[in-house]
Amino acid sequence: MESTAPSTAEASFVITKARTRVFGLSWDEVIQFFFAGNAAVAVVVLALITIFLFREGADFFRLNSSQNLAVYREAGLEYVDIVRDQEKDHAALNRYLADVRLQALKYYRKQGLTYPEAAAKLAAFDDYAGRYSDAIEPIRSKISDWSDFVTAIKTKFGVRADQLAEREQLLAAGKTAEAAKVKIDVVDARKELQPVLDDRASYQEAAQQAAQQLTALARQLPEAPTPELQKRLQRFAELTRQYVATFPATEKKLETWDATKPIPFYVSVTSFLFGREWLTASFWQDWYGILPLLVGSLMVSAVALVLAVPLGVGAAVYVNQIARPFEQRWIKPVIEFISAFPSVVLGFFGIAVLGEALRKLSQVPWLSGLPGFPIAERLNALTAGCLLGLIAIPTIFTLAEDALNNVPRSFREASYALGASRLQTIVKITIPASLSGIISAVLLGFGRVIGETMVVLLCAGNRIAIPDFSAGLGAFVQPVHTMTGIIAQEMGEVVRGSIHYRALFMVGIVLFFLSLLINYAAQKIVRRYRISGG
Amino acid sequence: MADREINPFATQATWFPRFEKGVFWIFRLATYAVLLSGFAVFGTIVVKGAGTVFTTRAPFLNVAFLTQAPETLYVFEYDGAKHELGAKDYRAFRETEEAKAKAAGKPAPKFESVESIVYSSGGIFPAIVGTILLVVGSMAIALVLGVASAIYLSEYAKNGPVVRFIRLAIINLAGVPSIVFGLFGYGMFVIFLGWNVSLLAGWFTLAFMVLPVVITASEEALRAVPRGFRDASLALGSTKWQTIRKAVLPYALPGVLTSSILGVARVAGETAPIMFTAAYVVRDRLPWQVSQVSDFFFQGVMALPYHIYVVSSKIPQNVYTERVQYGAAFVFLMLVAAIATGSILLRNRLRGRYQW
Amino acid sequence: MVTTTPVMPASESLDPSAPPRPAANQRLFDSIPMRATPVTPARTVIDIQNLDFFYGAKQALFDVNLALEEKRVTAFIGPSGCGKSTLLRCLNRMNDLIDGTRIARGSIEIRGIDIHRRDVDPIELRKRVGMVFQKSNPFPKSIYENIVYGLRLQGVRDKTRLDEVVERSLKGAALWDEVKDRLHESGLGLSGGQQQRLCIARAIAVEPEVILMDEPCSALDPIATAKIEELIHDLKRDYTIVIVTHSMQQAARVSDKTAFFYMGKLVEYNDTRTIFMHPANAQTEAYVSGRFG
Repeated sequence: MESTAPSTAEASFVITKARTRVFGLSWDEVIQFFFAGNAAVAVVVLALITIFLFREGADFFRLNSSQNLAVYREAGLEYVDIVRDQEKDHAALNRYLADVRLQALKYYRKQGLTYPEAAAKLAAFDDYAGRYSDAIEPIRSKISDWSDFVTAIKTKFGVRADQLAEREQLLAAGKTAEAAKVKIDVVDARKELQPVLDDRASYQEAAQQAAQQLTALARQLPEAPTPELQKRLQRFAELTRQYVATFPATEKKLETWDATKPIPFYVSVTSFLFGREWLTASFWQDWYGILPLLVGSLMVSAVALVLAVPLGVGAAVYVNQIARPFEQRWIKPVIEFISAFPSVVLGFFGIAVLGEALRKLSQVPWLSGLPGFPIAERLNALTAGCLLGLIAIPTIFTLAEDALNNVPRSFREASYALGASRLQTIVKITIPASLSGIISAVLLGFGRVIGETMVVLLCAGNRIAIPDFSAGLGAFVQPVHTMTGIIAQEMGEVVRGSIHYRALFMVGIVLFFLSLLINYAAQKIVRRYRISGG
Repeated sequence: MADREINPFATQATWFPRFEKGVFWIFRLATYAVLLSGFAVFGTIVVKGAGTVFTTRAPFLNVAFLTQAPETLYVFEYDGAKHELGAKDYRAFRETEEAKAKAAGKPAPKFESVESIVYSSGGIFPAIVGTILLVVGSMAIALVLGVASAIYLSEYAKNGPVVRFIRLAIINLAGVPSIVFGLFGYGMFVIFLGWNVSLLAGWFTLAFMVLPVVITASEEALRAVPRGFRDASLALGSTKWQTIRKAVLPYALPGVLTSSILGVARVAGETAPIMFTAAYVVRDRLPWQVSQVSDFFFQGVMALPYHIYVVSSKIPQNVYTERVQYGAAFVFLMLVAAIATGSILLRNRLRGRYQW
Repeated sequence: MVTTTPVMPASESLDPSAPPRPAANQRLFDSIPMRATPVTPARTVIDIQNLDFFYGAKQALFDVNLALEEKRVTAFIGPSGCGKSTLLRCLNRMNDLIDGTRIARGSIEIRGIDIHRRDVDPIELRKRVGMVFQKSNPFPKSIYENIVYGLRLQGVRDKTRLDEVVERSLKGAALWDEVKDRLHESGLGLSGGQQQRLCIARAIAVEPEVILMDEPCSALDPIATAKIEELIHDLKRDYTIVIVTHSMQQAARVSDKTAFFYMGKLVEYNDTRTIFMHPANAQTEAYVSGRFG
């Protein structure tokens, strides 16, 4: 047997075999590579998503600074906006005055005066308000003159951009001859803008006039019925003085303003990330600031989570720890079933039923003390948030229930054996032991909510503005727009390749990375605080 | 010693049991509040939608609603009575009435306060067809990719950095918002590959979106097959692939399919990914009315969820539009509910049956 | 079919009415019915040389040298975690399927062929070296399909041949009489002992030379265990058998040769009778006499 020469018995023991080989791989290895390739699809898709979002979106910053913002400056829109800001500040003061009037009117009505009587008492006040409003009329007329002028320049830039685009298209199509024929206008913005710049002296005159009037008005305040309102008027006079004090600064700004100063690239980034306005297809100037959308998304999510966290986690604790087996058996499938509700159906429910129902509810007199009640708009952050809550509940419920389920039985038994009651065991043992799972459930619920599109598109009211937080919690019943909603709403209407189109992709990128971040955090929490020795 | 024996185990009379009961009631209320709101949504849509889909006369089913294309609804007053007719019927009615009047030598009849509301007449047949096509195609793609991935992860992969990376990708893919998938599909399939708004673009977008669900479900099902099956098969001298094919897949398949039905519910229910990749607001031709086979894949379709979005946001809420709005929502909800319930029930049954 | 020296039923030794265990200093195995077959040296089938085996960074086998003989039953005994199952799974390269395992040194030759040679196909190897597992693992298919599984993989389609193999294998596994009327019922419907014999039948259906058994009786009751042990005794005529067992009584009853492992090392290897009667090593003696420490 020690001999190496194969005997007949050994010859029959064949364990070697030449297998078919493809590119040096056995058939089995080929199959393995096929499956491995499929598994890599997830990675590839993730990479492709990143690539294509950036492919379409990344050019936004360049275009925004080189075209949108550059034209804003070169055509002089920025110049005019300096004065517009001045006018806006005045408008804010006007609103302050109007609010005082409203309070006064309320006071008179409470005194038992009829409406015309109260109005008569306020006649002097109204006269004052009128004069106050008219005080900056000279400035307004300047704004209006200049606006017409600079929009004309902007239009020329627009025409030029179109011509450039046309030529590029022709070049791309290989039609060199036709491309050469396309006439490209030359816009000499400096020359065209010069008349406006030269007009500064007349603005200074107008501003001086306005300043004088306002200072005079600040000294002759109207009568207010209560000391409290009187105090507010005093404050108003103070504010007016402060406002007038800013006039020289504005003039200085106009003086130093330079149309040729290049726009640094970072402004394009900051104006996107921290811009407070999302304004598109505007006759004046387009702004792509993500803040109003981000705030809207976060507000809607906040409402949803405020509802879904207690309800979802509570239901999970109830089903897992408290409910009788019979209840468990039917509650779990029902909640799973809720998770299958298509979001568009929930959105429709919000439009058709919930929005109106909430508004009716907010008109019930004894609820009017709640912030924001009665609700002015049927579709708002609250309506959308409630429905999103219903979407988040099953996610949070299922994951939290899993986490509770994973708490080893022995923990609970040890607690019972020490004489703890059921509630004590739940609060002191089960929930702390599963806390990381519950937190990650909440995070994933948050991810689900912030990425949800149809409900917010249909029910959030779609007003692109940061809500007025001076209303406190009442801000939550104002209409908002969201990141997901804006993409769904505007994507179908934009010109492919335009700045607006790319801006929408940028919003998509923000959304994508936000979701990755949330996911990552959820993973991290689960992994870090996993129960050991279960 | 006292007369009465003292029982040291007697329930202590404290506030605590009552407090505990109270807390448990709060939890119970939370749970039932969730269920109640679920029922409220479901109930409203069922009650109002059933009125459209079912009728009181035989065959008790509004066949027209389920088999016709959407039409514009005309509401008008004629002869002192209020009429509601679909576009086609309205034109026919008008023509016959005018012809009648002409024959009788009377002046042309007056149609007063004619009001037209788009999509509010007819049915939702093309949308149903489109949804079914989208679901079938995308699930076919997702199942092939997903099951193959799961086979790799559960049968071949050794736990290394590459596999960890793949798993990370899968988890993260599951968290990507559906609208981002929509954007991606638009950027890649519609524009870059030049497929335009088409079934094919929708299929791939939806398939990629549902991929994590299918992979996770399939892997779970594969792992549920006992290790012993694989050992026994390998010890008999079968190759890895033979083992997978003969001793693993057959037993995992029911689990794979049932869990993947949840993915079907997700695919059918999503609107955002198909908004710019596959869905048309309205399309007159049905998907199979194409001149050549390749056109079939490169045509957009109507889809039920998108149709619901359109009819609930682009037309006003009133008595005339309610019919089609609630009807479409009802049919869609029923479709998704049937799929979801089916998968939940099937899974529970199979869990019982396949225990080794 | 086979007549052998009458074997005392295994259950008897477990009978509470059996004579009390001898005192510790006496040889425990006197009470164990041992195969009387004289062990004459036979050809070496499997030759293990200087084998070092690792699970990741943890070494599981240290320098194991062992020559297993043809048509003998060799038992691997030793406390849990001593490496006996690991060694068994090395013999048909089932360890290849576990991540992070590797053979750092040494070789295993079966009939003179190093099984880790590049041109050795583990698939072909496993066809020749069958295995029965601790937990019976029939496929959820019919008894018939379970047995022909291996043949079908090899592409055998001939119905008469398959029928023949089923009958021969089931008879070989002493299961034929019990299941011949329900060949097409599920294998899962059998009792635990029957399932294990079905697995043995499935293993011998592909006609291996060596059968590896990894604690085949650990999940069975005494009566089923006795049946399997009897079966092992019969199978020895045609196959070389390696069995891992926790029960010293079982090793004594079924094996011709015994190898005692401790902490990944082969401590002693000899005729079963010698191992149990006159162990050369103090550790072996301590283990077989139940005074393990």
